[in-house]
Amino acid sequence: MSLNESASAIFSESPGKIALRTLARDKRSWISLSILGTIILLALFAPLYAHIIAKTDPFASTLNATITLHGKTISVLEPSTTGLGLGVTPIGPTWNIHKYFLGADGQGRDVMARLLYGSRNTLFIGTSAGLITIILSLLIGLIAGYRRGWVDAVLSRILDVIWAFPVYLLAISLSVVLLTSGLKIGFLHFGPGSMALPITIIGVVYIPYVARPIRGQVLAMREREFVRAAVGTGAKHSTIVFREILPNVMPAVLVFIPIMIALSMLTESALSFLSIGVQPPSASWGTIINDGLALLYTRPIVALAPGLMIVLTAAALNLYGDAVRDALDPKTRARGD
Amino acid sequence: MRRSLIIKSLLTAGALALSVVASSTSSAAGTGMVPFDSAKAGGTLKLVAQAAAGTLDPKVNYTGQFWQLYQATYDGLLGFKYADGAGSFEIVPDLATALPVQSNGGKTLTFTLRSGIKFSNGAPVTVADVKASFERIFKVSSPTAGSFYNGIVGAPACLTKPATCKLDKGVVVNAAKNSVVINLVAPDEAILSKLAVPHAAINPASSPAKDAGTAPIPTTGPYMFKSYDPNKLLVMVRNPFFKEWSHDAQPAAYSDEIDYQFGLTPTAQVTAVENNQANWVYDPIPADRLNEIGTKYATQAHVNPLTAMWYLPMNVNIAPFNNVKARQAVNYALDRAAMVKIFGGSQLAAPVCSFLPPNFPGHVDYCGYTKGATPTKPAKAWAAPDLALAKKLVKDSGTAGQAVAVVVSDDDVNKQMGVYVQSVLNSIGYKATVKPISANIQFTYIQNTKNKVQISVSQWYQDYPAASDFLNVLLGCASFTPNSDASINMSGYCNKAFDAKMQKTLALAVTDKTAADKSWGQLDQEVMADAPVAVAFTPKQLDFISTGTKNYHFSLQFKMFVSQLQTK
Amino acid sequence: MLSFVAKRFSAMIFVLVSISILVFLIFFATPGVDPAARIAGRNADQQTLMQVRASFELDKPLPARYLSMMKHLFVTQDLTSYVNRGAKVLPQLFQAIPATLSLVVGAALIWLFVGIFLGVFAASSKRKWIDPTISVLGIIGISLPVYWLGEVVNLITQSKLHNSVFKWVPALGYVSLTANPWQWFLHLLFPWLTLALLYAGIYIRVLRSEILGVMKEDYIKTERAKGASEKRILYKHATRMSLITIVSLFGLDFGALVGGSALLTEVVFGIQGVGKLTFDSLQNFDLPVIMATVMYASFFVVFMNALVDIVYAVLDPRVRRV
Repeated sequence: MSLNESASAIFSESPGKIALRTLARDKRSWISLSILGTIILLALFAPLYAHIIAKTDPFASTLNATITLHGKTISVLEPSTTGLGLGVTPIGPTWNIHKYFLGADGQGRDVMARLLYGSRNTLFIGTSAGLITIILSLLIGLIAGYRRGWVDAVLSRILDVIWAFPVYLLAISLSVVLLTSGLKIGFLHFGPGSMALPITIIGVVYIPYVARPIRGQVLAMREREFVRAAVGTGAKHSTIVFREILPNVMPAVLVFIPIMIALSMLTESALSFLSIGVQPPSASWGTIINDGLALLYTRPIVALAPGLMIVLTAAALNLYGDAVRDALDPKTRARGD
Repeated sequence: MRRSLIIKSLLTAGALALSVVASSTSSAAGTGMVPFDSAKAGGTLKLVAQAAAGTLDPKVNYTGQFWQLYQATYDGLLGFKYADGAGSFEIVPDLATALPVQSNGGKTLTFTLRSGIKFSNGAPVTVADVKASFERIFKVSSPTAGSFYNGIVGAPACLTKPATCKLDKGVVVNAAKNSVVINLVAPDEAILSKLAVPHAAINPASSPAKDAGTAPIPTTGPYMFKSYDPNKLLVMVRNPFFKEWSHDAQPAAYSDEIDYQFGLTPTAQVTAVENNQANWVYDPIPADRLNEIGTKYATQAHVNPLTAMWYLPMNVNIAPFNNVKARQAVNYALDRAAMVKIFGGSQLAAPVCSFLPPNFPGHVDYCGYTKGATPTKPAKAWAAPDLALAKKLVKDSGTAGQAVAVVVSDDDVNKQMGVYVQSVLNSIGYKATVKPISANIQFTYIQNTKNKVQISVSQWYQDYPAASDFLNVLLGCASFTPNSDASINMSGYCNKAFDAKMQKTLALAVTDKTAADKSWGQLDQEVMADAPVAVAFTPKQLDFISTGTKNYHFSLQFKMFVSQLQTK
Repeated sequence: MLSFVAKRFSAMIFVLVSISILVFLIFFATPGVDPAARIAGRNADQQTLMQVRASFELDKPLPARYLSMMKHLFVTQDLTSYVNRGAKVLPQLFQAIPATLSLVVGAALIWLFVGIFLGVFAASSKRKWIDPTISVLGIIGISLPVYWLGEVVNLITQSKLHNSVFKWVPALGYVSLTANPWQWFLHLLFPWLTLALLYAGIYIRVLRSEILGVMKEDYIKTERAKGASEKRILYKHATRMSLITIVSLFGLDFGALVGGSALLTEVVFGIQGVGKLTFDSLQNFDLPVIMATVMYASFFVVFMNALVDIVYAVLDPRVRRV
């Protein structure tokens, strides 16, 4: 890992302010933030859309429902009447904002309404899991790097084990178990369908990726004169950690935030795609893709729409991540500044 | 995954009163195959499936997927006839020269073994192989050892100590006369069926005393297994020592080789057959390909009825379904037409609410849980759900607002069913969740009382037309073992009075089948008034074959006849 | 140096043992996972169930079962599956490795080529629009869910356009190189492209920012002051320096992918590699296979990690203290 030079000694103006100003000047941050803002607004708008505009319950099966479109009554799930009459096909996109804008899924539910509700779960899980990863990694990195010795040895070995366990394998094994049994952490008990399960799993599997570089930085910092001096003068450990070390590792941590959220989101959707993430009838973009796979040949839109949402959101987060990194770490800043 | 459906089509065990159309000639219902036409023989038949069905050992494997192949490879003393439809339930002599002579009040069965038949390794089939084969059922802990063959004299000792199993008194053979005598502890009217299934096939005496796993055991039929890799490919080639001895029991086969490929998703399998890269799809056809097959490929699709049911067992021992009103409410609330839609439409399934499927011995057309009907005043058929009545029943039962989890397999169709049932339960006043778990453990998971499953979605496929195979197996006290993964009575329903009536009917079946079937029909209505389960629909089998594949025939017993398909 | 290697090696063993215990415990913590009833068959008699349980040593205490499984896996190497009785686990694993290697090596060639070419191009191009365009491509690459992309590719090549443009695309699956090289290539082409897109995105971004970083280093400024041409600086110094980062990144990615991280791609394209084997065995709760594939996967990850570390230690002695 490249060592982050302590910038505070060099610049007279606080580095935070410089970074913020750089970020505000960066086109990329405005583009990505407006995309993210729109998606969050749409997510908040979900109940409004479902109950007022489309007047539908995205979590109730309506297999025998009918709608009136252009004066004709059509079944939401239309049994085939030609040939041998095999199969039942859900209604496709009507492009009518009031009913089945993007068509129906296999349960006769409104895909558009589910997509909006799904964005809530996906964003929530992605953000929570990403933040859990960052917070736990910061804690582990600080403790291991600062205390060194056996504490570091134990923590590092645990990180090694998680690291060596391929992410999807670990996530899948944990999901399979927890989905059957639920999870008990002390007095907290999460049922098998709880959103806390994917959050915990995703939050844990990525810890080594963030904790290791942080530990490395803290370890290097611990050797530096100003920290040694502080220890020598008998300053309290907490003071040293919070006053001297934390401000110096913060830039790296901040850069990780949007990237980890994007990564957690992608992982959530992959787990849901393998039907071990968010559990039905709740929706997330991954579960809608999973539902849509069963309709890929007849109604590809069901799987395509949530996929595009994932790409858009992840791309916006990554773009913002780039802008943040360049603002905080002038060394890697793109040319033209 | 679709594998659940493979496991669901495991053939049923524990059938006690199997009624059998026994006849020594082919004059009974159902016509046999037309004579073998050597001009159409040859070529390689390519079958595709998502997954293999486990061990290849015919004494251990208990899946519909491989039993279909065993019909063209292994033979017992008796066999099921090669005939279309119901004719395939007829039992015909196979390695025996004729159906057995029954004496001693039905407790002694005497067979004569055909001579001149050889195993695929060239060794002749002898009476010593017959005796060893019956002992091997116990030595390898065959799944049906305790339920099918426990009536043979000496079997209890074999069940407790499989390693030293000897059936000297149960299977008495005489090499000079080429005779086999099977002695039973008590008469068993289902014994002929039990002797005709693959677990009673005759294998060389030298076969290993443990599950042979992936190592093929020599066969007697037109094919033998050449190689088996459960992740890739099963190859069957012609048995060089096979000569047709009975066209009804084991006719000559058409293709020179059968390649059974594993690992493709169902949708990729369908594409492969459409593009003529494979001859037949094993797995259920994915919902979004059905329309295409029904229109563009209609001539290559074959739909056949199955005597089977999709149903919802409800645990009668824990809340809320320990309350009969709650169970009846579910029965009233289920929109069976909606579930049929999920399954693929009215051409592939039909709504029912009786326990015994249509066209089944004992079946009576009735539905106690449709709009305007009650269990005591049933309608003729299911028409529409009665949500208002269901809500009222839930309210009256005092269980409204309780949490209910629906446990389903995580493959597409089952998960969809689970989501639908959850939606229904919510609409009648419960707080329902759906819990999809791996298709491979769901079936045993919902059986074990330790897992406290309240309601689930499951399937039951018959293999003999016998009412007891449904009622006695699924709702009998003997099938309920608390804290065990093997407790097929998932509702945990043990009604002593009802059980006694079933035992009486079983005994009646030995002497008077017609009266017994009538009694089963009454028991069906009686138990459904108590609603330990909700029956949803009866499915049909859809086989999809490639354009060049000819001579499709369907047996109710083992489904499509693999050996009769022509690729030339 | 030797003691460093020995330390790395013992850490490796520790990690592998921990993972095997973890997998074992996760497995037996799952309710309803007891394979005995599934092995015994539908509605088996309770006595038969007990015999099956005994024959798979499922009636023994957990530590004994663990040791026995490790013995069968590593010492006698005859561990057999719980689902496909009699099927030995190790041959299955060894059969799956060529498929995974084919997928990963092919994809790696594509992403290295595309990544290095576009990365250097983005960092060096004089035209104003090129760098942002390539950067956006990189971002889209890392933001695409690989399973979704794979399904979309399948939708187009196997269904929507299968009867016109993509008639030449074979059915999903894998054909071994030795059986038919041309079919091997055709079957793997779209899986390669799909998997490579994600990593190409990563490598474009990493290489671009590394080069730009190096270009700001003091010694480059010195070179420039000495009058070296921009081209020479770019290729001789910046790109070469940045490639060291790329090589170590590649080591880790390659290890993880060969170890089973290509799982989603393999599942979507029906390639019977290690990832698909693991996924199928997880679906089947086939512990012996899960154990073997996870041990194999983590071995690769740990091994590549150690290799990268040791190579670094050779290059930079300061690392050895850490």
